[in-house]
Amino acid sequence: MIEIEHLTKRYGATIVVEDVSLRVDEGTIAVIVGTSGAGKSTLLRMINRLVEPSAGRVLIDGQDTMAIPEDELRHRIGYVIQGYGLFPHRTVAENIATVPRLLGWDKRRIAARIEELLDLFQLEPGEFAKKFPHELSGGQQQRVGVARALAAKPGLLLMDEPFGALDPVIRSKAQDDLVAIQRRLGTTIVLVTHDMNEAFQLGDRIAVMDQARLLQYDTPAQLLTHPAEAFVEQLVGTAERPFRLLSLTRVQAALEPGAADGDPILVSESLRDALSRLIWVGRDALPVVDATGAALGRVSVRGILAHGRSIA
Amino acid sequence: MNTISSRTTAPGMSSLRPSLSLALSLDRLGSVVAVLIGVALFACPFVIYRANRIVAGEGRMLTDALPPPGVLIVLIAALGVASCAALVRNPLIRLAAASVGLGVIFPAVGWSAGFVTPAGNTFARVSPSLGFWLLALSFALLAADALTRLRLGPWARIAAMAAAAGAVALLLVSGAWNDLSLLKEYANRQDIFWREAGQHLWLALGSMTAACLVGLPLGILAHRVRPLRTAILQVLNIVQTIPSIALFGILIAPLGYLSAHVPLAAALGIHGIGAAPAFIALFLYSLLPVVANTVTGLNQVPAAVSDAARGMGLSARQRLCQVDLPLALPVILAGIRIVLVQNLGLATVAALIGGGGFGTFVFQGIGQTAIDLVLLGAIPTVALSFVAAITLDAIVDLTRRGS
Amino acid sequence: MSARAFALRAAALLLLVLFVTAPGLFAFAFRPLTVNGAPAIYNQGSLLALTLSHLRIVVLATLASTILAVGLGIFVTRPSGAEFLPLSRSLVNIGQTFPPIAVLAIAVPLVGFGEKPTFIALFLYGLLPIFENTLTGLMDVSPQTLEAAKGMGLNPRQRLMQVELPLALPVILAGIRLSVIISLGTATIGSTVAAKGLGEVIIAGLQSNNVAFVLQGGLVVALLAVLIHDGMGLAERAVARRLGRPVDEVA
Repeated sequence: MIEIEHLTKRYGATIVVEDVSLRVDEGTIAVIVGTSGAGKSTLLRMINRLVEPSAGRVLIDGQDTMAIPEDELRHRIGYVIQGYGLFPHRTVAENIATVPRLLGWDKRRIAARIEELLDLFQLEPGEFAKKFPHELSGGQQQRVGVARALAAKPGLLLMDEPFGALDPVIRSKAQDDLVAIQRRLGTTIVLVTHDMNEAFQLGDRIAVMDQARLLQYDTPAQLLTHPAEAFVEQLVGTAERPFRLLSLTRVQAALEPGAADGDPILVSESLRDALSRLIWVGRDALPVVDATGAALGRVSVRGILAHGRSIA
Repeated sequence: MNTISSRTTAPGMSSLRPSLSLALSLDRLGSVVAVLIGVALFACPFVIYRANRIVAGEGRMLTDALPPPGVLIVLIAALGVASCAALVRNPLIRLAAASVGLGVIFPAVGWSAGFVTPAGNTFARVSPSLGFWLLALSFALLAADALTRLRLGPWARIAAMAAAAGAVALLLVSGAWNDLSLLKEYANRQDIFWREAGQHLWLALGSMTAACLVGLPLGILAHRVRPLRTAILQVLNIVQTIPSIALFGILIAPLGYLSAHVPLAAALGIHGIGAAPAFIALFLYSLLPVVANTVTGLNQVPAAVSDAARGMGLSARQRLCQVDLPLALPVILAGIRIVLVQNLGLATVAALIGGGGFGTFVFQGIGQTAIDLVLLGAIPTVALSFVAAITLDAIVDLTRRGS
Repeated sequence: MSARAFALRAAALLLLVLFVTAPGLFAFAFRPLTVNGAPAIYNQGSLLALTLSHLRIVVLATLASTILAVGLGIFVTRPSGAEFLPLSRSLVNIGQTFPPIAVLAIAVPLVGFGEKPTFIALFLYGLLPIFENTLTGLMDVSPQTLEAAKGMGLNPRQRLMQVELPLALPVILAGIRLSVIISLGTATIGSTVAAKGLGEVIIAGLQSNNVAFVLQGGLVVALLAVLIHDGMGLAERAVARRLGRPVDEVA
């Protein structure tokens, strides 16, 4: 768990981050979103003390970060930046081994960890371990960047625009992969982005920043239904709002008893996907099944619309 | 409205921090300069006195090198510069202080020469010594640092150089330095000096001009014909690697043969030993920077610009003259700058094979262990290279702005 | 390396070794250049000994310059030395307008004849390219890479040793190569101040008007320079490849 308390950063007369407090629960993803120059990167970099705060403090699992030597603190926190900063003179395996080596892990343990991570990120160890970063595609570099950050099993991962350099098709896959891996490992993630879609896709909670201030820190649904300020409302996009809400809700929420014809929809899909399918196949309702294929009921256009109105 | 442009600028701001420290705190570079000044003033002889031009000399500390008012002036000026260096960070003030310092010690060393030389003694020689050179070095360091920090534009740099050159010329013409050994060496060789100066410039500039005349078309050709490019650049690279005196030596053999067997060559003044092999060697050395930079410059012309020019119906020749060459000019000029500075230095070696130039004094001076004679050759060479470098750097900057 | 390039290098090296160890074999080639029965092959000392002492002084001076220049380059790129950075860059620029011969000539009156002034000149002038390239190499390391290294908790020393220096190495090596080549030439001129080296052959030829001496001295120095330049270039490319970086062919 991370607690940020009254964190402030000033450069001379310029205030870059002003009195920000927020809490990130164990095993969740918090996304900091905002315009450029809003102070989100600085806020992130104060967590691993790449930027020293002017005031306030950061607690990780109750321990003040100022009480931990800088480098030791950073060994314990994974860090991924836009462009990844892979070491061009080291192979993929050596890049991943960076922090474990600094921590003095023995060779066998490091080798096992490298293989485990490469497997996790779907990079065939035999093929990729010996490659140099410039021999990798953008998507592969990104995965190595994240794998390197996770090498020493940090409980916390900081990510600054980690998908910014990827093209849209690869980006969406990389985002899904990140969520899957995060759920599996239970890592706490704080992620900075300027992309609202990314924030909604990844965030358990979203922090909206503007001009050095934290405007709102809430769940995606709360942000959509109860924006704290006009700026937040504008940022989340009024036209997109209902669809975003639907994509946050599972089919389960609008499940009706009864049957329908057509290809069934999984109960774990989002209402947005369900609505999209209904429109596309031109039906009023489709059957709903669970992961084992057992019929649970049906979902209808009318039911989705009614649900959408009820949460808005 | 979902996507908001790029990242925050905050990380870059950390660079603001150092400049916020107190303006009057101790400057580390300045402190080094101040210490140097102190050592120069109190631990090193200001000038060296010799009974004649060959014998070993004896150092004269500042207090013995000038009459008391002179000592006082130099002391006040030097200590003023030292405290300024250590305490003041404003580059303009530091530049002014360094200039005043140089403006005091340069005439002072000439004054000292007159003061130390016994009246009527024409054999005695006085030269600046370690103390003077250290003072000059410290002031020059301070001035160079200030100038670097001021980031002067090209015209301002040329103006600053002209001012410095003017001041030195004034000192030379005024006769303030006439009692210095260096100037006595000059006085003994006035005619030869200017002849060798002419020869030096002819070697350096002539070979450069020839290299431009050959190198530019060669560069354009190499740019167009890819297989030729690698071959030409590789050969020129190898030539550039050969040490100057070795290349002179290699050229002497065929030229000697030529002059012995072809009367026309001898009539044209081509001999194995002399200016011809030096000129040819300098020319060969000059080709690589000219050709390589022409190729690089032309390569840097954006494809879209060339394409647009073609689309507007410019002929190949018009594209080259109106688009490609003007755009490549700064890079080509940078190559010419390298050539000029390199040639001015290398021309010194020509004297070894009878090619003349300032090297004549350098090698004569080495032979006679007369340091002032060495300096008579070395100082003009360095000064010329320096002026050439500053001027051409400024010109490169100016053309870069235009494009 | 293609088979032809390799054969060419091997042949050049063989020629050089053969010539300095048994120059008499080549007398026939130089005889036509002599007049009045002057010796065709340098006879005032062993070419091999001259070559070795020539190389010795170049290697020693370059070693000394490398240590100091790389050290200085590291110092001015650390936060503690940052104040000296702008000045040191201008000094390198200014220093390169000094011809190496001037440095040599000025050293003589200060330390006398022999190897000392030559060593001083080689050392001082050799600093410039190495220092300049160390600066370039260190400052060209991408800020992203450094940020990542810092973010992973590498301390300044680890960042220098594990990231910055390895990445700068090819550029630093190029600086050392440049320095060696300049030194080979300057050491040749060092013979005018009585340093033992291959310049002796050329100067003896100039003094006795023996073109054969001048040519063979010139050829040995030239071959030596070209081979060393080439060999060091190969080493640089090998290092760059090991560091996982593509390199341009014509450097």
